[in-house]
Amino acid sequence: MLSFTLKRIAQLIPVFIGATLLVYFLVFATPGDPIAALSGGKPMTPATEAALRAQYNLDQPFWIQYGLYLKNLVTFDLGMSFSGQPVADLLGRAFPVTARLAILALLIEGVFGIIFGVIAGMRKGKFFDSTILVASLIVIAVPTFVLGFVLQFVIGVKLEWAKPTVSGAATWSELILPAMVLGLVSLAYVIRLTRTSVIENKSADYVRTATAKGLSRNRVVRVHVLRNSLIPVVTFLGADLGSLMGGAIVTEGIFNVPGVGNLLYRAILKGETPTVVAVVGVLVIVFVLANLIVDMLYALLDPRIRYA
Amino acid sequence: MPENQNFNSEAGLPVNRRAGKVSKYKMEHYVAPLDETPLQAVDSVKETGKPLSMWAEAWRSLRKQPLFIISAILILAVIIVAAFPQWFTSQDPTYCALENSNEPGREGHIMGFNLQGCDIYSRVIYGTRASLLVGIFTTLIVIIVGGTIGALAGFYGGWIDTILARLGDIFFALPLILGAIIVMQLPAFRENKSVWTVIITLAIFGWPQLARITRGAVIEARNADFVKASRSLGLSKFKSLVKHVLPNSLAPIIVVATVNLGVYIVAEATLSFLGVGLPPEIMSWGNDIASAQTQLRNNPMMLMWPALFLSVTVLSFIMLGDAVRDALDPKARKGA
Amino acid sequence: MSENATPKPLLEVKDLAITFSTPDGPVHAVRDANFTVMPGETVAIVGESGSGKSTSALAAIGLLAGNGRVSAGQILFDGEDIANASEKRFVELRGNHIGMVPQDPMSNLNPVWKIGFQVKETLKANGLAGDNPKKRVAQVLADAGLPNPEARANQYPHEFSGGMRQRALIAIGLACRPRLLIADEPTSALDVTVQQQILDHLDTMTSELGTAVLLITHDLGLAAERAEKVVVMYKGRVVEYGPALEILRNPKHPYTQRLINSAPSLSAVRGDKHEAAVEETSPAKAEPLLTVSNLTKVFDIRKGFGKKEKFTAVDNVSFEIPKGTTTAVVGESGSGKSTIAQMVLNLLDSTSGEITFDGQQIGNLSEKQLFKYRRRVQPIFQDPYGSLDPMYSIYRTIEEPLRIHGIGNSASRQKKVKELLNQVSMPAATMHRFPNELSGGQRQRIAIARALALQPEMIVCDEAVSALDVLVQAQVLELLDELQREMDLTYLFITHDLAVVRQIADNVCVMERGKIVEQGSVDDIFEAPKSDYTRNLLAAIPGATLI
Repeated sequence: MLSFTLKRIAQLIPVFIGATLLVYFLVFATPGDPIAALSGGKPMTPATEAALRAQYNLDQPFWIQYGLYLKNLVTFDLGMSFSGQPVADLLGRAFPVTARLAILALLIEGVFGIIFGVIAGMRKGKFFDSTILVASLIVIAVPTFVLGFVLQFVIGVKLEWAKPTVSGAATWSELILPAMVLGLVSLAYVIRLTRTSVIENKSADYVRTATAKGLSRNRVVRVHVLRNSLIPVVTFLGADLGSLMGGAIVTEGIFNVPGVGNLLYRAILKGETPTVVAVVGVLVIVFVLANLIVDMLYALLDPRIRYA
Repeated sequence: MPENQNFNSEAGLPVNRRAGKVSKYKMEHYVAPLDETPLQAVDSVKETGKPLSMWAEAWRSLRKQPLFIISAILILAVIIVAAFPQWFTSQDPTYCALENSNEPGREGHIMGFNLQGCDIYSRVIYGTRASLLVGIFTTLIVIIVGGTIGALAGFYGGWIDTILARLGDIFFALPLILGAIIVMQLPAFRENKSVWTVIITLAIFGWPQLARITRGAVIEARNADFVKASRSLGLSKFKSLVKHVLPNSLAPIIVVATVNLGVYIVAEATLSFLGVGLPPEIMSWGNDIASAQTQLRNNPMMLMWPALFLSVTVLSFIMLGDAVRDALDPKARKGA
Repeated sequence: MSENATPKPLLEVKDLAITFSTPDGPVHAVRDANFTVMPGETVAIVGESGSGKSTSALAAIGLLAGNGRVSAGQILFDGEDIANASEKRFVELRGNHIGMVPQDPMSNLNPVWKIGFQVKETLKANGLAGDNPKKRVAQVLADAGLPNPEARANQYPHEFSGGMRQRALIAIGLACRPRLLIADEPTSALDVTVQQQILDHLDTMTSELGTAVLLITHDLGLAAERAEKVVVMYKGRVVEYGPALEILRNPKHPYTQRLINSAPSLSAVRGDKHEAAVEETSPAKAEPLLTVSNLTKVFDIRKGFGKKEKFTAVDNVSFEIPKGTTTAVVGESGSGKSTIAQMVLNLLDSTSGEITFDGQQIGNLSEKQLFKYRRRVQPIFQDPYGSLDPMYSIYRTIEEPLRIHGIGNSASRQKKVKELLNQVSMPAATMHRFPNELSGGQRQRIAIARALALQPEMIVCDEAVSALDVLVQAQVLELLDELQREMDLTYLFITHDLAVVRQIADNVCVMERGKIVEQGSVDDIFEAPKSDYTRNLLAAIPGATLI
């Protein structure tokens, strides 16, 4: 297991370097003055400009610039926002909120997705299955922001079951509604994936053999169908953390959640590219770590991977 | 125990005295009358029925599927609307009168008016084109770029594969929307916002997925015996890729591309909604939804109509992908 | 047990009919089947694929696929009709009354659970785990002939070889000492020597436990050797049923006769040979068309972190094939025989050694020379479902080589395709069809037609008949033989099945772990094998001693 972990980490390092390089390259190496790119085309004071030049070492050759950026990123020295606050502080406040939101969303899609997916898969072609399939198609087809507005309007404004927007504290209970919106599309994917996987496993040879051994149907489903079906689902959930972070930009905007997505969105609108580059760099680290965790989980669930 | 001699099989000794077993019980020797199961020629060719290629067979099962019929009709309708919006409304979508602001529907304006007093129905009709263009062209570029890269990586393997796979991983580490936002913020894109910048941006982050799918399908197909056979017939490596491997890898690519077409339309709308997608002067569902959000409480229909059109379009593409997947499912046709 | 005690059957199948509902209407998989299994005896059901043999047996343990049901008749287990018993009743019966050993050892163990766990849950479900389940598990595995059972119980299926997995499955099937064991082709996926060991062990175990066995197999030789009674099924019906040896020696139904005449294992022993091959056993040793000398192939196996391990797949192999004859390369899985085929076809480069075809070394051919070489040497591969491009019509498939080599115009090519189809005994109308519409044997015949299109001098058959049912196999072998006579073809015939070799080959090379352990003429190898390995292989041919 240890050598497996080391191997995976070794494989993820180039991904991390490559992804940050990609972001950095996009911002700094495209035609035009990098300062203009960083300022978002807005006029700035000479002091800000000087600070930016220092932060990104713009007088240095590209590779050194990038190296220093990477160093700043991993030491969490993220520079200042235009309003003069350290980006690290802003991110430090926003990150726990988004983490809570993402965990809730993952829980919702994981728990409900697997439950509905398993039931649908076991009753393939029956009423429940067809209903779930149609519902999941609709959820995938309707854009998150439309779903967000509708749920906010119906549940928050008309029914008043939940507050339509989130306070500065962004408590767990306030985040349930946004987390539902955030997790809904992935929920649909999890349902469909679990369903397919269950249907496939149900007709596997080893399931028939397990039945032939005299096991009860219940045990066959629990021990032999479920565990095997969960392997691709877990992989999906882990990889989905990435798209949740992307989706958070929309969801946090709608519900006014003071999280990373909101921070990023505001920075984009204000043209604060330095903040954008810094935050995205941190997010890449999160994705890469999430990928590592998925790989480990995968290896735990599927012994064939571990020893490969 | 019957008289067959057993022996120590673990020792792996050859045994030449397996004499068979004789039952302790008496039994008759039953022979079925020959007319009951007349002997047929070994492995005769069925000569009835029309010959069917795999595609013809898939088409035959497709056209009976309600899911396919519905989605195909809807998609056809959307394409016609996008190509000839003037056939569907006589209203000028850019003619807006403030006195109509947020007016409900009335004759000639069934969906009512938006905040600026423009006719919502004609805006929805004229907004179709941008969404569809983005969906179709992003998909095409992604198929060409991702498909080529995936096919080369899968077919040639080795270091090409390693490099291309890592390159894909790198792009994968940036989610579509996040990556697209960054690119759309670049001066080169920010100052030239158009349908094409959105298409290019989405394609930049969309190709790795298709490359992975293609790579997997190509690896599966390239190990088939018919590819080895074609090489032995004298076909060059590249030609066998083009003539045998690719046609046999198309099914999953078509399915994923169809579903993704819908996903790209949603992505464009999301970007426009966030204010970094299509410029406001281009009429699009995403832009209209974005401008409707402030009016949600006064005039929810202003948001609902473009959202409905958008969702139905996306739904049709996803349903089409589902139907095609069922028709092309290799598992369903194995042993056919 | 005495002869005069009234025997009470353990399993009695009466007028059984099984129907599957499909989108194209009901399919009657089994009709009017009757047979009886007495306690402690072995009954074999023999038939080709699709004959209904597995379906009949699966009905007795309630494991028919979802769309199948017993539509008429009875299945009496110990006097109780279980044909349409409830799922609850079947759960009670399975494991401790009726056990099963499935066909494919690779897919029948759950890959994510340890072997020990999968045995233990069997014992637990049937209340036989006892106070010390670990010890019981080890005992059960040891009984099935797995060495070092405590350690093995802690491993996962993918750490087991095919033979070991099959032993684990036998352990599971017999763990709860059932009175009836359904063994569905328990060894058809394994090499012959492993097959023999496992069947021997199964024999010993079931006779110790007094378990009756319902053995399902496609191999009549194997059935006759292992069972007291044989049930021959054809197109869903029982065509012949009686004492095993009697059926083997005195088959009455024409279908059974046909089966016995075609079964390679039996004809191998009889020493059948197609006349043509006999007369062609070159008297004045013909020029060798293909010479393989000191051929070696070493693969690098990646072990992660840039570590590599060398694996010698083919080790210093030399042989010659005289023109117009057939040389078979025989070996079990992993012996390197297919690697040789790939190198001869120039699909794979050799590490060292030479392959000379008609005086020309093929190791370093130029692009142009290679193109010419390809025209003279053609392959036929194993998998009839994989060797034809499913996107190409039969016409395009056979025409492709002509087109690649720029032979003729479209009219002459069409004429040629018709001729070729005729040569492989397929109706000309077949050319508009697609591979998915043909059976395995027909696809293989198309593959032969494609190989013949360029009028090659040599054909490399890589397990070309291994995936086919016996009758179809015999038919294809006969076709190959005829073609050899007509066109003076030379065959390199790669196979794992020594039995087939006798039907087709003139000379044989026996391979073990990359090396040739013995080579010589077919008669020498079969009559006077020199190496232990060959003797083992020969002895393992089922039915070898019965005729």
